[in-house]
Amino acid sequence: MSVLSYLKEFLRPSWLKSFFFAKTAPLENPPYFRDFPQITGNECTNCLSCKMICPCQGAIDVIQENGKWMPYITYGHCVRCGYCVEACPEEVLTSGDILDKKRLEGLEFIHEYKVIVDEEACMGCGNCSTACPANREIDPHIGAGGTAMSDDVLMRVERGKNRVLHNDLCKGCKVCMDTCPNKSIHVVRTVQAVQEAYK
Amino acid sequence: MKKVVDVSLPVGPVHPCFKEPLRIKCETAGERVLRTEVELGYVKKGIEKIMVGRPWQETMFLAERVCGICSVVHNTAIVGALEEISGIEVPRRAQLLRIILNELDRMQSHLLANYSYCYTIEHETLAMYLLNLRETAMDAIEKMTGTRIMSAYVVPGGVREDVSDAVLSDIISAMDKIERELNRYVKMFETGRLIALRSKGIGILSVEDAKASGVVGPTARASGMECDARANDPLYVELGWHMITRTEGDNFARIMLRFDELYQSASLVRNAVAKLEAGPIRLGGKVTAGHVKHTIEAPRGDLTYDIAVDENGEVISVAIQTPSVMNVETAAHVMMKDLASAADVTSVFISADPCIACAER
Amino acid sequence: MSLLQSIKNGVRKRSIHVCYVNTGSCNGCDIEILACLSPRYDIEQYGIYVHNNPREADVILVTGGMSPQWIDKLPDLFDRVPEPKAVVTIGNCPISGCVFNRPGCVIDPPVSKYIPVTAAVPGCPPRPTEIINAILSAADELFKNHEEKKEAKK
Repeated sequence: MSVLSYLKEFLRPSWLKSFFFAKTAPLENPPYFRDFPQITGNECTNCLSCKMICPCQGAIDVIQENGKWMPYITYGHCVRCGYCVEACPEEVLTSGDILDKKRLEGLEFIHEYKVIVDEEACMGCGNCSTACPANREIDPHIGAGGTAMSDDVLMRVERGKNRVLHNDLCKGCKVCMDTCPNKSIHVVRTVQAVQEAYK
Repeated sequence: MKKVVDVSLPVGPVHPCFKEPLRIKCETAGERVLRTEVELGYVKKGIEKIMVGRPWQETMFLAERVCGICSVVHNTAIVGALEEISGIEVPRRAQLLRIILNELDRMQSHLLANYSYCYTIEHETLAMYLLNLRETAMDAIEKMTGTRIMSAYVVPGGVREDVSDAVLSDIISAMDKIERELNRYVKMFETGRLIALRSKGIGILSVEDAKASGVVGPTARASGMECDARANDPLYVELGWHMITRTEGDNFARIMLRFDELYQSASLVRNAVAKLEAGPIRLGGKVTAGHVKHTIEAPRGDLTYDIAVDENGEVISVAIQTPSVMNVETAAHVMMKDLASAADVTSVFISADPCIACAER
Repeated sequence: MSLLQSIKNGVRKRSIHVCYVNTGSCNGCDIEILACLSPRYDIEQYGIYVHNNPREADVILVTGGMSPQWIDKLPDLFDRVPEPKAVVTIGNCPISGCVFNRPGCVIDPPVSKYIPVTAAVPGCPPRPTEIINAILSAADELFKNHEEKKEAKK
């Protein structure tokens, strides 16, 4: 009986047809597949939105080449989530159909970076203020102790403690966290996924 | 009568039947298998530890990579937990899109489980048919989200991107194809004599044992135990979800229950697509402090995220309770007892649909 | 090159037996390797057979980022594979540890610290088309002139 059922199965016209004329699909990725991000050619402004939202370590880096900033994807680290494509305000990167959908549906990420200093643990060494890239851009002459003459800097050492003056300047790079000897500074990256039309 | 152990037979960690490494130690007397014991710990990564101190945009990816087979449901669970803590509203279109993706994911997971079972009992023809059918479901997922696995589709306040009408009609035609092909395969599975010899009456889990051992998901429902976290979701009930159970509790019942659930998932996807209306898909919302226990139904059973978050939206502590922990232990201690042959060990174990990556994290 | 050697080259290119070892991956790459078996991609038409038995394998596909249980077992398993042999890693985890390589984790990537790796396929997870393309492009070179190379090494 079971032999007969197998014979019946293998004599179906559709089975026979596919058995003799079957062809495997060509080894190509479909156009909507979210592949490694590619560069579109737009100019990068080094805002670091892509690097800040990237969920992996060392997957994306923004490097300067011949005086131009360009994002660089490391294969083997990138998980192809496409967040960098969605987060980039200048449309420097593209991957699959995310960029088209981003334009069509107005997809957007709202970033907010906040620097929190633990007043009790901070000992005012000034490592964070000296290392902060945003600080150094505004005041290149910032002192080794983290004391700055300028009032426009992100943070500086005042009266033996590190004080945050302008939170909105923070790019969320977490360099200060790495240099702090007793983990008293903390950078919070808050992200909201929104649509432009329904903000 | 005193039982005498002849040989202690190890199965695994690298075994042709298992997708994942684990070792089953079988105590045998002649051809009979008296007792089995499962040795885990080959794929421990410490994900819960890594999640601590990270905001949602990073924990979401870690949660997805708890398990590659049911990645969507882990993503939905952690985002659902964070939304419950913070009181974030999800627009209706996004909720329905989440259900469509979750059901597609459940379909591919069940098809993979049934493929593994058919492969284990050496019915390779049916196994390859099922694996090819799974590609249809994977294509639907890829068209919808852009990747086959690890889609990163669910975000707090909605979903990543909208789905166009062309893709929705493609998904419906994929459902048609899956249902049409499944009719044939289910008939093959029900009437195959070799399949019946290897499946019926083997690895029986009675309803009392099921309740005592805490087994969840399709494995529990095949024994007649009613447990499904989708019953608590009003949207699922609105879409026409109902509990499916079987009473036999053997290998055959577990596989047939998954086939029945495939039909149900297909009809849920259809109903969800019919109810879609134009509207926003993501509204954002900040994650605030709180502590919650959030349970949803994964393809293998109840999945619970016990998560505590501080006021900055960073995780303080997280505990993941995955269904495979209960299912693997029950399979080892209750189902795989006094089996007629050593070949049944793998088939009973695979019929419980174990996911070792889920169980160890 | 002798005639025997060229026959061996041709045969080895068209018959590759594969064993996959999961050293702590999340299953994503493993089921993508399984998907290569399906009639859609049909890896067997290229002469690649998945046996999952190290003792009859030519190529080991390693997925995952070396969990502590595997640190002594993977070199052991590699020794049991008969010559000629090669290792191809699938996915990000064996290269870099992917998202798991963070302070506090228990895995210890990369895999090339423990066994010699011939080729690597990046992606999390790579698509079946990418896996097949990688294996096919490596297949020509993997076992070419194995005996001559062995002589040269001595």
